Amino acid sequence: MKTVAFNLMPYKDLPADFEKKYASVWVTIPRTLYDPRKGHEYYHDYLDALETAVDLGYDAVGVNEHHSNGYGLMPSPNLMASILSRKVRHSDTTSLVVLGNSLALYNPPIRVAEEMAMLDVLSGGKFIAGFPVGTSMDTNYVYGINPSEMRERYYEAHDLVMKAWTTEEVFTWNGKYNQLRYVNTWPRTAQRPHPPVWIPGGGSVETYDFSLLNDYSFSYLSFFGHKYAKKVMGPFWDRADALGKDRNPYRAGYAQFICVSETDAQAQIDYEEHVKYFFAKCMHIDPRFFEAPGYRTVASLRAGLRSQLDGTAKVGKAILDEGFGWKELVESGYIIAGSPETVREQIIEAARELHVGNLIWLFHVGSMPQHLTLKNLHLFAEGVLPHIRNLWPQWDATPFWPSGFGDPEPQDARHSAA
Amino acid sequence: MTEPTTHTYQVNARLAIDTLEAGSGEPLLFLHGAGGLAWDPYLDALAERRRVIAPFLPGTSKSNDISQVRDLWDLVLCYYDLLDALGIASADVIGHSMGGMIACEMAAVDQSRVARLVAIAPAGLFDINDPMPDIFAMLPQELAGRILIDPQSELARMLGALPDDVDEQVDVLIQRLSTLNAAAKFLWPIPDKGLIRRLPRIKAPTLVIWGRQDGLIPVGYGETFRSQIPNARLEVLDQASHLVQLERLPEALKLTLQALQGQAGHAP
Repeated sequence: MKTVAFNLMPYKDLPADFEKKYASVWVTIPRTLYDPRKGHEYYHDYLDALETAVDLGYDAVGVNEHHSNGYGLMPSPNLMASILSRKVRHSDTTSLVVLGNSLALYNPPIRVAEEMAMLDVLSGGKFIAGFPVGTSMDTNYVYGINPSEMRERYYEAHDLVMKAWTTEEVFTWNGKYNQLRYVNTWPRTAQRPHPPVWIPGGGSVETYDFSLLNDYSFSYLSFFGHKYAKKVMGPFWDRADALGKDRNPYRAGYAQFICVSETDAQAQIDYEEHVKYFFAKCMHIDPRFFEAPGYRTVASLRAGLRSQLDGTAKVGKAILDEGFGWKELVESGYIIAGSPETVREQIIEAARELHVGNLIWLFHVGSMPQHLTLKNLHLFAEGVLPHIRNLWPQWDATPFWPSGFGDPEPQDARHSAA
Repeated sequence: MTEPTTHTYQVNARLAIDTLEAGSGEPLLFLHGAGGLAWDPYLDALAERRRVIAPFLPGTSKSNDISQVRDLWDLVLCYYDLLDALGIASADVIGHSMGGMIACEMAAVDQSRVARLVAIAPAGLFDINDPMPDIFAMLPQELAGRILIDPQSELARMLGALPDDVDEQVDVLIQRLSTLNAAAKFLWPIPDKGLIRRLPRIKAPTLVIWGRQDGLIPVGYGETFRSQIPNARLEVLDQASHLVQLERLPEALKLTLQALQGQAGHAP
């Protein structure tokens, strides 16, 4: 199993009455609540923590993209990744994941091909490219992309980026949304034919198939933990079987809040306040922005509506509104928390249950201060990481992970010149 | 009410358009708004005097797919193709809300195909100083409060009614969502696609009807339509919101029929 130390980079000082006084943490969050001095401190703390994760030998450090969002302060994850690439390039073990760039938002999308090629080169071929379709909040409401065009734009942008990465000649692109007379992406990517691609998603059938058929790794990104993730990963593996793909667990990842402390009781003392901050404030999203019309296909809508109307659907904040406390959050798997022993047992159980090879570890939760973030990183590295590394010894992760400077020629040439 | 008949016209190589039709006589095209097409008392009354043809916006009926229409320009051409399929060279056109926007586009782009125009609270403009609210970020009950002056009225209950059976509920809700999905294609993120530049091209005599208390598109927009369309008249009805033709049915009907009896516009 491989562990990605992943940071959303939330704003940690939302007012105590935030969720009562304001409509949403996303799209319409008042920008007057943002204090750049605090932001300055957060960014550097978060980068320090991610650099610590490189020192501690995690398999990857990861960042992602959100817009007008109080729990994700990275409108451009590539900026953060470029800083981290300086550290990653010296590491024997740690890769760099941007999980990812929302392709449909970039005009033209070769901007993504260019910047990710830069990151791949900067990191020394240790870069993983994430391509989410993107949430409705980010893509439709904030960036104004017409929901009826979103998937088409996404697929076209994907095809364009891939062609830009893998075609050695200058070519012309005549698409529905992009027309470019000369596509010639400089620099080239360090990895051949291109960096590994991960598809973060919420579990629509289209995304399963897209990931599986392209041999990309699918990452289920939710904040609801391993028990909820079963609903998504079960059908994913069924789909893999149906499409004749092997069950290499590195085809899949999932996101999980994990908080490690000396003991189970201490974990609650350390982390409860910050976990509650996340679920109360960072999940305070105006239902008006959940989903633009056209964001989901009619088939997906139909499936979702049935469970809403017959009462079987119950997710996320709706559960939290019913008075979830620490105990319930842990028991329901929203967070894995406790001593290193407790945590590793639960991770192993969850990973086996979900059959996933990539753990997207949300190591920072809500308002967690820096000393706890570092404590979490250290305790996990010492007491958990060594015990979960060999969970899937029979499977090869390399098709879904970076190769490093796979092409030895430039390095040899550089050394002989020196 | 008369039971309308349904028809499907293959309008071009890619697209079929479904219609509801009733009545006889001179053809009258009705283009529905983002709430979708329902055979209502306004259409029923019009069908007593005219042959009313009410197409479903592509993507809102069972036989077609919104992805077959690329953009607003493509949609306007599809409606000309529909007129061709119907064998109609020039028709009177009524459009409500989004349908009013499309009707204006049809009249502006090819002046020969729209004889008389009735635009009921048309979309298509956006005044940054008097913005219309975002219909795509609204809870259902909020929308009801904005399109009707009295969300407790019998009309409101009729429009919001859901069947008891879960399967039928799913069908109704899917129909509403699909309609909104299709509408979003032409109205996202704000419904200004440059119509104001084309309004002066409209040759057809035009009646603009607005509800004074329109909670969705402010009544002030009506004056802009009137002033930009060369041969236009604006009628503002009091005690009415966005569904003005249903909320003030007798008055809206009377105004519509008067406008349809006037001299038609001529092709240049």
